[in-house]
Amino acid sequence: MSGHHNSNSIQHLYEGDQSKLYSGVLAHHSDVNSEESKKQVGRIWKIFWFLLVITIVEVVMGMMFSHQMPRAVANFIFLALTLVKAGYIVAVFMHLGDEFKGFKVTVLIPLVLFIWFIIAFLADGGFWLRMNNESPSRTHVTSAPANPNEY
Amino acid sequence: MSQHATVVTTAPEPKLWAGGRSPYNVSYGKMMMWFFLLSDALTFGALLISYGTTRFFSTVWPDANQVFKSFPFMGEHDLPLLFVSLMTFILIMSSVTMVLAVHAGHYGDKKNVAKWLLWTIIGGICFLSCQAWEWTHLHSEGGWWGSFLDVNTPVKEFAHFFNAHKTAHVLATQPALAMQSTHLFFNYFFTITGFHGGHVTSGVIFNILILVNTVNGVYERRGHYEMVEKIGLYWHFVDLVWVFVFTCFYLL
Repeated sequence: MSGHHNSNSIQHLYEGDQSKLYSGVLAHHSDVNSEESKKQVGRIWKIFWFLLVITIVEVVMGMMFSHQMPRAVANFIFLALTLVKAGYIVAVFMHLGDEFKGFKVTVLIPLVLFIWFIIAFLADGGFWLRMNNESPSRTHVTSAPANPNEY
Repeated sequence: MSQHATVVTTAPEPKLWAGGRSPYNVSYGKMMMWFFLLSDALTFGALLISYGTTRFFSTVWPDANQVFKSFPFMGEHDLPLLFVSLMTFILIMSSVTMVLAVHAGHYGDKKNVAKWLLWTIIGGICFLSCQAWEWTHLHSEGGWWGSFLDVNTPVKEFAHFFNAHKTAHVLATQPALAMQSTHLFFNYFFTITGFHGGHVTSGVIFNILILVNTVNGVYERRGHYEMVEKIGLYWHFVDLVWVFVFTCFYLL
C-alpha cells in the first residue's frame, strides 16, 4: 500500500531528524484525489464491509445457531472469525502489513507467548473443575454432586 | 562463533544495525507506540485468559444470551446480543474514520484530517454512552464488583442470568455454585470492560488533543501528520481489544 516505506533511496532521511520521514518521503503524496489515494480509500471501505459481515455472521450464529451445534464447534468458529477480524485490523488499519518484514516479526513474535499462556491456564481451569466435582468433601457441603456435563 | 560474529559486524556495507539508522524504516515514536501496544495486549490477554480459566473451573456460568438481552427503550423484549452488536458496529466504524484521518494525513489534507478525527471522536463518545447504559442496566439488575456474595441471596435474584434449561439441576441442588459464578462473572465483566472503557476514554481525549492541534495547524507547520498515525495505532488497538472482549463475553 505505502510503497514509500520500502524505498531504500530514502534511508538517509532516517538518520537524524525523523520528522523528515514524513515531510520528505511523502512529498510525492500531494494529490488526495489521485488514483492511488482513491484506491487506498476503496480498500479501507472494503475491509470495513468485510469486518461488518463477519460480525453479523457471529451475532446471528450466537443468537440462533450456537445452541444447536456442539459447543466446541461453535467456539472454534467464533475464535477463528475473531482471529480473521483481528488480522485484518492489524494488517490494514494499523498498516502493519506495509511495514518491513523484520518489524512485523519483531511485533508479532512476543504474541507467541499467548499460545502457551492459553493452553496452561485453561488446562489448569479444567483440572480444578474436575477436582471440585470429584472431591469427596464437596458432597458434605452440598446435597448432590454437580454434573460436570451441565455447563 | 565469536569469530563469525566479528566477520558480520565488520562487513563494510550497509551498516544497517550499527546505529544511526532505522533499519525498519519506522520512526522512534511509531515503534515505541507499537511496543507499548504489545505490552498492553499482554495485559488485556492476562485479564481475558484469567476470565477463561475461572469460567473453565466453574460448574455453571451465566449465559450471555440471558445477561445481555436488553436494548434501551425496548423494555422487556428479548433482544440478545443486539445492543452489543450496535456497540461493536460503532467501534468498527470509528476505526474506519480513524484510518481515513491517517490517510488524509499522509496527503497533508488538513481539512479531511480534522473532519475524520471529529467523526472518530463522535464514534468514541457514542460507544462510551452505550457502555454507560449497559453498566447502569446491569447494575440495576444487581450486578457490580463484589455483588452476589451473600449466601442467603434468594435463587431468583440470579437464576435469570442462566440458561434455565441447561442449569436447572444445579440451580435446584447447588444454588451456591451458581451464585459464585454470577459473582465472578460480574467482577470480570466490570473489570475488563472498565479497563477497555478507560482505554476508549483516553483515546477520545488523545483524539480531541490532536484535532485541536490539526485545526491550529501545528502538524501542517511541522510538515507531517505522524502524530495522527500514532494515535491512530492506539485507537485501532482499542478496537482490536473490543473484538476479543466481544468474543469472550458475548459469544463463547
